[in-house]
Amino acid sequence: MTSLTLSHFLFTSAVLFVIGVIGFVTRRNMIVMFLCTELMFQGAAIAMVSVGRYHLDVSGQVFVIFILTIAAAEAALALALVVLLFRRRETLNAEAWSELGEP
Amino acid sequence: MVDSQAMLDKVWFILPEIWLVIGAMVVSMMGLSGTRLVRDAVPVVVCCFLAVAMAGIAWVYGDADRLAGIDLLMPQLGPYVKMILCAIGIVLAMLSVGLIDRPLEDSLKSGRARFDPIRTSRGEFFAFFLLSLVGAMLVCNANDLIWLFLALELTSLPTYIMVAISRPSVKAQEAAVKYFFLGALAAAMFLYGFALLYGSTGTVVLTEMRDAFAEQAAGDGLNRLAIVGMILAVLGVSFKIVAVPMHFYAADVYEGAASPVTAFLAFVPKTAGIVAIILLLGTVGWSGHGAPGAGGLPQPILVTLWMISVLTMTLGNVGALLQRSAKRLLAYSSIAHSGYLLIGVIAGPGMGINAVLFYLLAYGVMNTAAFAVLSGLQRQGEEIESLDDLAGLRHRYPVMAVVMAVAALSLLGFPPLLGFWGKFSLLIAGIEAHRMPLVVIALVNSAISAWYYLRLVGLPILAMPTPASESITHRPVPWARVAAVIAALGLVALPLFVNELLP
Repeated sequence: MTSLTLSHFLFTSAVLFVIGVIGFVTRRNMIVMFLCTELMFQGAAIAMVSVGRYHLDVSGQVFVIFILTIAAAEAALALALVVLLFRRRETLNAEAWSELGEP
Repeated sequence: MVDSQAMLDKVWFILPEIWLVIGAMVVSMMGLSGTRLVRDAVPVVVCCFLAVAMAGIAWVYGDADRLAGIDLLMPQLGPYVKMILCAIGIVLAMLSVGLIDRPLEDSLKSGRARFDPIRTSRGEFFAFFLLSLVGAMLVCNANDLIWLFLALELTSLPTYIMVAISRPSVKAQEAAVKYFFLGALAAAMFLYGFALLYGSTGTVVLTEMRDAFAEQAAGDGLNRLAIVGMILAVLGVSFKIVAVPMHFYAADVYEGAASPVTAFLAFVPKTAGIVAIILLLGTVGWSGHGAPGAGGLPQPILVTLWMISVLTMTLGNVGALLQRSAKRLLAYSSIAHSGYLLIGVIAGPGMGINAVLFYLLAYGVMNTAAFAVLSGLQRQGEEIESLDDLAGLRHRYPVMAVVMAVAALSLLGFPPLLGFWGKFSLLIAGIEAHRMPLVVIALVNSAISAWYYLRLVGLPILAMPTPASESITHRPVPWARVAAVIAALGLVALPLFVNELLP
């Protein structure tokens, strides 16, 4: 039986991060786009804790607590903005916003 | 492990920030008051808190013993950057007077509505204004990645809300949505970069990271994880300084937000981002310039920065050529100026970083002057945006026309204005660091930028008024125009003190 090493965890975190980036670029639903940025945050968080365990250092775990705090703050903000969008346009499609842009 | 004296010293150097957070709380409560006078006093209180914070910075950093013992990568950044943030913050607060809740206050004045705390957002606006400034100031004190991450987020999160509430128009909300989503993407990006940097060194403390990198460089070169992490972190932070590849939101967001908020966005997050990049690069160091790190900028990171700098200034200037809207033009000019700033960052400590800090001051003043003119004028309560609206401004508002011309000439780098000295010191630093190609590209770019900056000079001063520009009036509140005059006087007078102002 092979044991788990640091590279497995870093690979998982990289996969999460890349799925997040791809989702952010390809999807147009604002809530899904926001979830994709959350996915990227969690990818970074997994990298932090696994590296912290590898170096036997607690700062990785401390960092993750702060990442979760910031992610919660961003979630509140994102939901506020999405509600704002929905009230104005009755849709969650990011492309419904087209007031700004090159003339 | 952490001795209490070191902890006390850390708190000592963020006393001005703590003071400003208290200010943010006071202001957010004052905004809810039922008395009109108290609500109107909010910007005054903000300015007072900022002025006291400036005195506090001078006092806190005057303590030479503590300053010698402070455990920071680049302690010299602190006082200078915090001072210019607070000083320009005062002018930016003047711009924002009377911006928020204008329709509500009008209906209150005419007695058509009764005061309802739920519907006001002036207190919040100025509280977020102060909190964002605090975030930018805290970036200078960062000695670990956690602190740096939190400070950068504290700079950005309030600005998203400021954009959304800056005016009732749907444009502002669209700008806020775009700004927020790209901001979250960028934050995730530099966060992942931080994770990789932590992984390659095993520490989040910047000074310890510097030693770890020096060790790696002395062995068989920098860890590949570290290089990827550093590049990801720089790309993520480039959102804050509106540099390529995270620049494309700038024109839309700057157009959508109200002019005073745009002026804020172009200066405060940019300052925070530049300081963060300097701190991050400081861990690997610029070799051969008495740099803090020993390893020297590794080739891949240097090439990335070089590309970002060149692409940023070129795309910014070429994009600005095509614009018909004054705000979009200034947005592209903001992108171009980030490219110039990166020349100083590449040139490294000593002259390079000093030039960057001086340029931040110069850019802050001239950018504020240009946006102050746009903030001080209106057409039937709406903002003026198009360049044509400025045509023949001299005939109606001669002072505003002159301020616009001075600001544009300074942005162009016309001697003897402040912008010239800023650009001059950046280019000299580039030459000293043997970055001739970069300097030549910057000079070519300055020549291109003359085309659109001279339009901003020519239209208000030389052109004849059009029917569209005839309908322009000034805002009822004079403070934006006062701020414009102050900033323009600064552009003319500050060059007399260049030697004192250079860090």
